[in-house]
Amino acid sequence: MRAAQIEVTSLGKRYGQVTALDDVSLRVGPGSVLGVLGHNGAGKTTLIDILTTRIRPTSGTATVCGWDVVRFGEHVRRQIGVTSQFAAVDESMTGRRNLLLFARLLGAKRRQAKARADELLATFGLTEAANRKVATYSGGMRRRLDLAVSLLGKPKVLFLDEPTTGLDPVSRTELWRSVAGLAAAGTTVVLTTQYLEEADTLADEVMVLAMGSIVAQGSPAELKAGIGSRTATVTVSPTDAERARDALLRAGMRVRSHDHALSVALAAATDVPALVRALDHAGIAIIDLTITEPSLDDVYLALHAGGGA
Amino acid sequence: MSRHALRTRHQDDDAPTLVIAVDRGSLRLAPDDDSWGGAGFLTQLRVLSGRSLRTAFSDYRLVFFGLLQPVVILLLFSQVFAGIGDMPGVVAYDGYINYLMPATLVMIAMTTAMGSGAALLSEIYTGWVGRLRTMPINLVAVLAARTVSDAVRLIVQLVVASAAGVYVLGFEPGGLAGLAGAIAVAVAIGWGLSWLFIAIATWQSKPELMQAASFVVMFPLMFSSSAYVPLEAMPTWIRVLSTVNPLTYAIDATRALAVGMPVGGALVAALALAGVTAVLGGTLATRAFRAG
Ligand SMILES: Nc1ncnc2c1ncn2[C@@H]1O[C@H](COP(=O)(O)OP(=O)(O)O)[C@@H](O)[C@H]1O
Ligand SMILES: [Mg+2]
Repeated sequence: MRAAQIEVTSLGKRYGQVTALDDVSLRVGPGSVLGVLGHNGAGKTTLIDILTTRIRPTSGTATVCGWDVVRFGEHVRRQIGVTSQFAAVDESMTGRRNLLLFARLLGAKRRQAKARADELLATFGLTEAANRKVATYSGGMRRRLDLAVSLLGKPKVLFLDEPTTGLDPVSRTELWRSVAGLAAAGTTVVLTTQYLEEADTLADEVMVLAMGSIVAQGSPAELKAGIGSRTATVTVSPTDAERARDALLRAGMRVRSHDHALSVALAAATDVPALVRALDHAGIAIIDLTITEPSLDDVYLALHAGGGA
Repeated sequence: MSRHALRTRHQDDDAPTLVIAVDRGSLRLAPDDDSWGGAGFLTQLRVLSGRSLRTAFSDYRLVFFGLLQPVVILLLFSQVFAGIGDMPGVVAYDGYINYLMPATLVMIAMTTAMGSGAALLSEIYTGWVGRLRTMPINLVAVLAARTVSDAVRLIVQLVVASAAGVYVLGFEPGGLAGLAGAIAVAVAIGWGLSWLFIAIATWQSKPELMQAASFVVMFPLMFSSSAYVPLEAMPTWIRVLSTVNPLTYAIDATRALAVGMPVGGALVAALALAGVTAVLGGTLATRAFRAG
């Protein structure tokens, strides 16, 4: 196995009485994606801030690309790209100017800076908006520009703190595609999120944080195995509720009922047609049928039900 | 697009696979060896100061009102307090405006220096500074750029205010060289003070607190000096206070230079004030900034 790009041992951060991060250890190999999953206040940003040399841990150690983040921060900063929770670009300047500015700060010559800026603007679909002030950009465009800025230095390790929070679905999908592309091309990525689906889509390895501690760690498949997968919610008329429940149970499904809505855990892709068939066979009209992906709450619930991790 | 279409990193057995095409030839976003190797301190300073200046001048309304503000204050003070012109320590200046104008230059310098602190704090809040902290950029360059760009802005403000003083309010400087010297001293003091306010910004946690703290410092300093009223006219305790108030010397130096009177030791004191505040503020700010 190749040396880890990120190695974290018993990392902790306290603010007075508040423990923001507690005894966190992890390894991330080159070119892989770590998804850090957790609600607000779980400690995600604190972890990212320590790894990107912005704040110092109060206990434990961390290295990025082999460099200790406290003692060799200067070396770490040469290897990383960071996109923070809130886009940090200059709103009073155009998108292109932002890119040129950061490229110059990284040591690019004028011509190099221009070439890289154009390349990144094209990659992130910002060529047309390049000469507009960032203040006029949509949330999605801002995020893309922010990501482009963090890629200027061709970082070996990319940190993304809640990159899709507040984005519309289309922008989110586009951003996912960019991240997946970068990882496929060899960039190591650490990404925090509140969405299980996002971690599932992008990450090789997922870590669940709650109140500063790791409560679960593993591949997305392992994590999902613990919580069951998607859920179908069926609404029928109140008079049919009882019969519908029996029909689904007879079809071998796991059913929970609340009022006249029934929720069914979907184990396989064929469960949806089977569900519809079973109800149709019993002569029950389906008023509404929705399928929901498991959420972070389901992860916490499952961990809790299982006595924690 | 369904989420399965994105699934490249790990595959469920039944999930369709889509390899997201990354054209390494044209995108070249992947890490490779052709990195830029970082910029020197002076380049960083120049690029960051240029950016701050551009931001400061990007909104014409802000520029307009920023330049107008000292002119309005000058106009009000020179009219409301015109009677001071007949007082013993002032009458030699031949009009209150000649006494007031140089002090106003120092006051503008002080306000701009406060603005440096406020601007840094707001850039800490927006995450701009946070981004710079994750990059191979010298933190001293980040702070110095703020003071340099604000000093340039200050020069523009002082020149505009002086011109308004001369052409609108009847200010009669002792000569162009003297006025230029007075402006230079005010810029030096403003630059030094901006380091002090930047230090305060790196220590404070709230913008409101910063604002309040700045005013609590600024007003006593201005009014316990020779800025508006000659020292002879003030109560004894303020007169005593004013002898240890560094602003008194800064204002005396600016005033002497502007109206063409002998400067004497006040100039040395004013420049020392600029130097001491810069070194003290710079040291405190850098230390607080590095610690994170
Ligand atoms: N500067 C700070 N001072 C005091 N407490 C803090 C500070 N920064 C973060 N915290 C606390 O640490 C915990 C983790 O915060 P954070 O890492 O921002 O969580 P997340 O990014 O997962 O939402 C929270 O309880 C937060 O209130
Ligand atoms: Mg956060």
